[in-house]
Amino acid sequence: MEAVDNREERLREWASLGARPMGYLCTYTPVELIHACGFLPVRLWGGAGQVRKAYSHVPPFVCPYLRLVVERAACSTFDFLVGIVQGYTCDAACGVVNVWKNTFGGGICMNLPLPYNESASARTFFASCAHDLASRLEALGGCFSEERLGRSVGLYERIRESLARVGEMCSGESACLSAMDISVVVQAFFSTPPETYLAMLQELEALLQGAPRVRREGVPVLVSGSVLEDAGVIGLIEETGFRVVACDLCTGIRAYTPHAGTGSTPMERLASRHAARFPCPSRSRPQDRVPLLAGLARDSGAAGVIFLIQKFCTPHLADHPLVERGLRDAGIPSILIELDVEDTIDARTANRLETFAALVGG
Amino acid sequence: MAKTGKSVKRLASARELATLVAGYYEECHRAKAEGVPVGWMPPMNGGIEIFYAMGLQPVFPENFSPVCAAFGAALSHFEAAEAMGYSSDLCGYLRNIVGYVHSDMHGPGVPLQGLPEPDMIMSFGGGCVPAMKIFHILEHRFQGAAVFRADMPQVAVEEIREHHVEYATSEMHRFIDFLERTTGRKLDMERLREVVALSDEACRLWDEIMSYRRFSPAPITASEIGIMFVMVTRQGTKTAVEFLERVRDEVAQRAHKGMGAVEDERVRLFWDNIPLWHNMGIFNYFESSGGVFVAETYSAAWSLRLDPDDPVRSLALKSLMSYPLVSCVSIDRRKEMVLKACRDYAIDGAVFHRNRSCVPISLGQEDIARALDEELGIPSVFIDADHMDSRSFSMAQFQARADAFMEIILERKRAGRA
Ligand code: SF4
Ligand code: SF4
Repeated sequence: MEAVDNREERLREWASLGARPMGYLCTYTPVELIHACGFLPVRLWGGAGQVRKAYSHVPPFVCPYLRLVVERAACSTFDFLVGIVQGYTCDAACGVVNVWKNTFGGGICMNLPLPYNESASARTFFASCAHDLASRLEALGGCFSEERLGRSVGLYERIRESLARVGEMCSGESACLSAMDISVVVQAFFSTPPETYLAMLQELEALLQGAPRVRREGVPVLVSGSVLEDAGVIGLIEETGFRVVACDLCTGIRAYTPHAGTGSTPMERLASRHAARFPCPSRSRPQDRVPLLAGLARDSGAAGVIFLIQKFCTPHLADHPLVERGLRDAGIPSILIELDVEDTIDARTANRLETFAALVGG
Repeated sequence: MAKTGKSVKRLASARELATLVAGYYEECHRAKAEGVPVGWMPPMNGGIEIFYAMGLQPVFPENFSPVCAAFGAALSHFEAAEAMGYSSDLCGYLRNIVGYVHSDMHGPGVPLQGLPEPDMIMSFGGGCVPAMKIFHILEHRFQGAAVFRADMPQVAVEEIREHHVEYATSEMHRFIDFLERTTGRKLDMERLREVVALSDEACRLWDEIMSYRRFSPAPITASEIGIMFVMVTRQGTKTAVEFLERVRDEVAQRAHKGMGAVEDERVRLFWDNIPLWHNMGIFNYFESSGGVFVAETYSAAWSLRLDPDDPVRSLALKSLMSYPLVSCVSIDRRKEMVLKACRDYAIDGAVFHRNRSCVPISLGQEDIARALDEELGIPSVFIDADHMDSRSFSMAQFQARADAFMEIILERKRAGRA
């Protein structure tokens, strides 16, 4: 929890000790490559609060996550960054990076195009884009080599493997950490140097092995959506009668599934993991996600799905009707909750959730 | 108070547009009836030239949306989409087309007899998220259609490198293979060169037409921007070139004779973002105080040149550049284009349509407005609306802002003269 609460202070300290923090927005950004070049990848956070200054830079109809990130930037929260690199996901994130370039500056402000398809030419294209990024990072004082990439890819694979084990240990009927705790653990991944984070995770795993398990009550559900920074929302969901057994969020399993790619070189492993990722709607078709979500619900024992979507998040909102219908056809009911700035679970939403709990639990 | 609704068209050639639009949709239906393979695709990519070169029929569902808005059919499509669970926060093009394809596609009230069902769908990877999602939904709706999943790098125009062009070119080749396999027709490279040459000529003519807007008074205004219909649906055809030649001749004549689109041109304006298709008349609103829109975002959107000797690569480049040029993928280039247009066309003020339906074009407008003010001393006003959805537009708010803005500009001009 502390790693998330004090991230700004810690990042400033690490930056003063020589770490070069490089911001990114979406988890499709190849953080391994940024790390291999000698930079510290930091996923930008929006946090909580009011949006005021950001409206001089972005319209009010972009998702609250991005509005809050821009607000933070306008309040100089991120002035320790040496730049920002964004693996292409959505229009809004792409535009924010370009606005950033002219407003907040940095040694590099780049949208990295990434292939949508899986094919030999798509993999070659991925590698070319990665090399393009590496040479830009080198121009900024970074240093790239295949060996360095191999070490970073290996390090991140171990982290994701460990995260998956922690997630697994805590998803059953009895667990030693709540889904809310796991969300915080995943979020710490985004702003902690990976070497330090791996050590923290290993310590956590060791602690969890011997820790007493608490029986978790409630109707088992899968939570699915875009980014969810306020882990408290998961706590509130659990308080309305659910047991969150899986989180298809970029602050959930999408951060670590699959934990590794395949291939004989580090670049191949990176490209193949990119293609094989548990997909976000920003880079996939709803018809392809339905069987994956249904499978996840089945494997985790979820009786229903709670969609938590950021207001104005086009990729998720545009997919929702088809995904909802596909799941319904598979016998899996769902409910949609849209989250805006400062939105949490209000009384009306809590009521809807309680009704949903009764419906799926009944 | 000026009336709003339909815009006033002054060019005889622009009035011809209605026939051209109807002719295109008739051709789509005829093609379907005669067994010519019909493919639905997103606009602003090189697929259209390949279609025309192979004698296939391209259909642009996004382009049908402005038609629905102009005919007043969009609201019922929005309602149908919203009833299916599509959020009203989504782009109006998406809501319109989704509602349309899930309603009676050829029923009463559907303009121009609607669209013929697709035999093929060109779905992507690339462009904006709503455009990508429209095609995911269409794939689901028309499950019998053969689907091509294109992949286009999304990269700022100023950052395009050889590997982006190579990948885009390999995707164009893959597309040609797909069409040849699906339709049993062979692409004749010589024919493609001819089509690309026509496309290039259309782009050249477009630039030429736009250049006459430098004249004061301006011979055409944004009300005539519907002429870009041919740039979207007829690229690579003689129809487009011949139409643009007629427009060019008329515009040139008017410019040289000093015939302004508006009699008393006092303020030259720039329009940013998509027009309000449901209310094109608001362009004319400014005319009561001598305001004329002499340039807009789309003025430079077709300023691309294509090389008929290297047609596939040219089309790949076109596909790579068209969308970024008008969106937040290339804010710097867009800003450059707007500043250049404002200098070239002697603009006095800019109207930014903050378009609730289009994040990609609306994002970056604040930056551009600031640059206009700081670098050129040009004032701006923001109008909150939606290019498709009349429900997100308040006439009273628009008029208050527009009047105050025109007052400021006229005051500045008076002070400048004093
Ligand atoms: S929450 Fe949605 S709109 Fe916001 S950055 Fe993520 S994908 Fe884009
Ligand atoms: S560019 Fe804008 S208007 Fe066009 S489909 Fe995308 S979001 Fe909609």
